[in-house]
Amino acid sequence: MNDVDDQLRELLPRMRRFAVSLTRDYSSADDLVQSTLEKALSAWSTKRQEGDLRAWLFSILYRQFLDAHRRSRRYSRMLELFTGGKEDHFEPSVERTVVAQTTLQAFERLTTEQRALLLWVSVEGLSYNEVAAILDVPVGTVMSRLSRARQALRLLSEGEITTPALRILK
Amino acid sequence: MITLPPSERDVHAYVDGQLNDADQQTMETYLAANPELAKQVLAWQLDVQNLRAGLSGDLHRPMNPELDPAYVRQRLRRNRTRHFATAAVLLIAVSIGGLSGWQAREMTLASGAPPMADAVQAYRMFAVNDNMASDWNTGKPNNVQVWLDKNFAQANRLPDLESAGFKPVSGRLTSTEQGAAAMVVYKDEQGRTLSFYIRPPAERNHLLPRGTRRDGELQADYWSGGGYNYAVVGPADDPAAQAARQALKQPI
Repeated sequence: MNDVDDQLRELLPRMRRFAVSLTRDYSSADDLVQSTLEKALSAWSTKRQEGDLRAWLFSILYRQFLDAHRRSRRYSRMLELFTGGKEDHFEPSVERTVVAQTTLQAFERLTTEQRALLLWVSVEGLSYNEVAAILDVPVGTVMSRLSRARQALRLLSEGEITTPALRILK
Repeated sequence: MITLPPSERDVHAYVDGQLNDADQQTMETYLAANPELAKQVLAWQLDVQNLRAGLSGDLHRPMNPELDPAYVRQRLRRNRTRHFATAAVLLIAVSIGGLSGWQAREMTLASGAPPMADAVQAYRMFAVNDNMASDWNTGKPNNVQVWLDKNFAQANRLPDLESAGFKPVSGRLTSTEQGAAAMVVYKDEQGRTLSFYIRPPAERNHLLPRGTRRDGELQADYWSGGGYNYAVVGPADDPAAQAARQALKQPI
């Protein structure tokens, strides 16, 4: 039991970082990590497969996020009906290191899946196979999506394209 | 083994460091000769570096104690306990409801009348009164059993209390809401009195389990059989009556 806890504890910072990259908000990121841990702990004996623990946790976290996101989008659409609508807009946190601010800002503008892909592969160093397993798609699909994500990141960093998310509405 | 010129995938695999050593080598040689591609690869590599650097700060955020696995475990347990507790409370609530329903039923039954109360009542009114008008007495031609059988089909036989010195001396019919009832008075030589009472089951009492009940100075032993309820009533503490009760316990 304690061995399991130690393994999880060691991966906590990575889970939290991944969660922040998805939610772009520290407190909801921690909520996400918490629900991921709950899920992981209750599913440990039955669902935990051999292989990289980190990849397993990332995949739980990612699914949880997508589910929550889908729910909240439905909710916010309803909310827009009453409030007149507000663009969801993310301010990069000052807590973050200032190094490579441009790349980070470009990263924030990628789609959820692109952010996840780049974080898994480029930052965390997961193998294409592991990512393919998380997303439940063929490895070839992972590679072509990764290629698109990387090009989008490049273009966004160079300021060559703007996406709707760039509009800052007040 | 990659082929040259490298596919786009191989280039990305190179950027991600997912090529084996030999392929890595091949790719580097190829890039050296292809500055255009090399420039793009370098830009991607820089992006990767920047991303790693930019996101590394998020790895060093202060611990959040609520995320500690031990804490989360505890929370899960608490939630589970809470679910159990909720289930238990529900169960208790349902049980209390059921029990109080049963209790209420018992109370209704009890408040209706204790079992064979009319037998005790009849004893008080008639049995100890020697001037009671009787429908049957020892002077009649039929014996008491024949008289009783005329009024109660398939009833149990009258208890034989002779071993304790009690003999039937008179009988009287009364009526209840459910139909005819009868009391047979027994006396012994000392004039001590017992009564045997037979009646159809009351609406709510139905048939009675064999039992004994004390009511003041009297005791009623009651039972059911053959579609009727019976009671033998007599002084509770009298030794002769006790002996008669012993005789009752023999199969009738």
